[in-house]
Amino acid sequence: MDMDGNLEELMAGYQAGDFAAARCLIHRLSPQLHRFFDAQSRNPADADDLLQEAWLRIHRARHTYQRGKSVLPWIYAIARRVRVDHYRRQVRTTTHEQRWEQVDDEISTSPPDAPPAEDLEALLAPLSESQREVLQMLKVAGMSLEEVARATSCSVGSVKQKVHRAYEKLRHSMSVPELKRSGEVP
Amino acid sequence: MRDPEIDETLDKAARVRREVPAELLQHIADTIEPTLQPVRALPPTWVLASGSVLITGTVALLGAARVGFQGVEALSLPARLLIFGVLTLLACVAAVRLVGEWIPGSPRRLTPGGLLAMASVTLLAVFALLFHDYRIEHFVSAGLTCLATGLLNAVPAALLGWWWLRRGWAVNSVSAGLAAGVLGGLAGVTVLELHCTDFHALHILVWHTLVVPASGAVGAFAGWALRER
Repeated sequence: MDMDGNLEELMAGYQAGDFAAARCLIHRLSPQLHRFFDAQSRNPADADDLLQEAWLRIHRARHTYQRGKSVLPWIYAIARRVRVDHYRRQVRTTTHEQRWEQVDDEISTSPPDAPPAEDLEALLAPLSESQREVLQMLKVAGMSLEEVARATSCSVGSVKQKVHRAYEKLRHSMSVPELKRSGEVP
Repeated sequence: MRDPEIDETLDKAARVRREVPAELLQHIADTIEPTLQPVRALPPTWVLASGSVLITGTVALLGAARVGFQGVEALSLPARLLIFGVLTLLACVAAVRLVGEWIPGSPRRLTPGGLLAMASVTLLAVFALLFHDYRIEHFVSAGLTCLATGLLNAVPAALLGWWWLRRGWAVNSVSAGLAAGVLGGLAGVTVLELHCTDFHALHILVWHTLVVPASGAVGAFAGWALRER
């Protein structure tokens, strides 16, 4: 199977039981899925486990992919479910208060200096989980607004609003260190 | 900093490729290989939705056949056309939403909560338009009987709808349960409109319409229980 074949063809091959197509899909999509989990889980060690769990669920649900439709919203809808279930399991083991205190701390103690420009996860750190998720899908996976809306089970308008709010936060978080560097802000 | 500059920074950072350990990818491939059989893809959405509507209609007709068709016989022709036309339309919308809940990455123009609100408000509007006798007689006793009859037919319709889509994969079982409950609730309302001869406006507005949210709540609870088990 050609590694450059489009995702829809690879998915059709996967459904037909073609192992080469399945392996191509795993190699093509795992880096961006791993990155998706890495940015969302806040614990890099979890990303490997979540990636494996996601592929197991994709494997079990592979017959629900409808041929001719875009693969990425289908894949990311499942990946997102894996992440939500993981988060729910984590919440069960810790208390809500502890979790939110931790989240608050992580956000409030984020470094005031500019994150490395090449580190997307650091750039997106000041955003809420849903905003990070949307920008990850748009920027890393290269999905359209419509595809992101389908993957996140919400409307295109809601996705646009999340992007707009994310950009407002990013404008602030990226501008402050810039002004500090230029000496305009002490 | 302006939006194009933010865009450029994000795009640049997103282009930095992060590799996943080759052993991990190999492990994933090895895990799925033994169970990699050809699978039959799900039929198109319209086939699944049509099947769901057919199941709902069949359950409603069988339910009404058991208790009698006195209600529809007492209705005028325009009232029949309006009530059952609207119920059919709502069942189609609910079936499409239900199927969407069972196929990951489906477009979602209406949430299951929105579907519930839309179905309830539409039924209230239709009933308010057709029934104007606001006297109250045996409001609670007759109402509870109708609610029970409606729910007794809603539950099997929802369960059969769930069974029909069993090969699907519900991304959110609570939403899927709510959508199945609403569709089942519409089957319950259909039975009541076919059977019930109590045309007091408040009876129909409250008790007949209540079948839909009550059934939706049962479905959502069932979805939640399945998720938490």
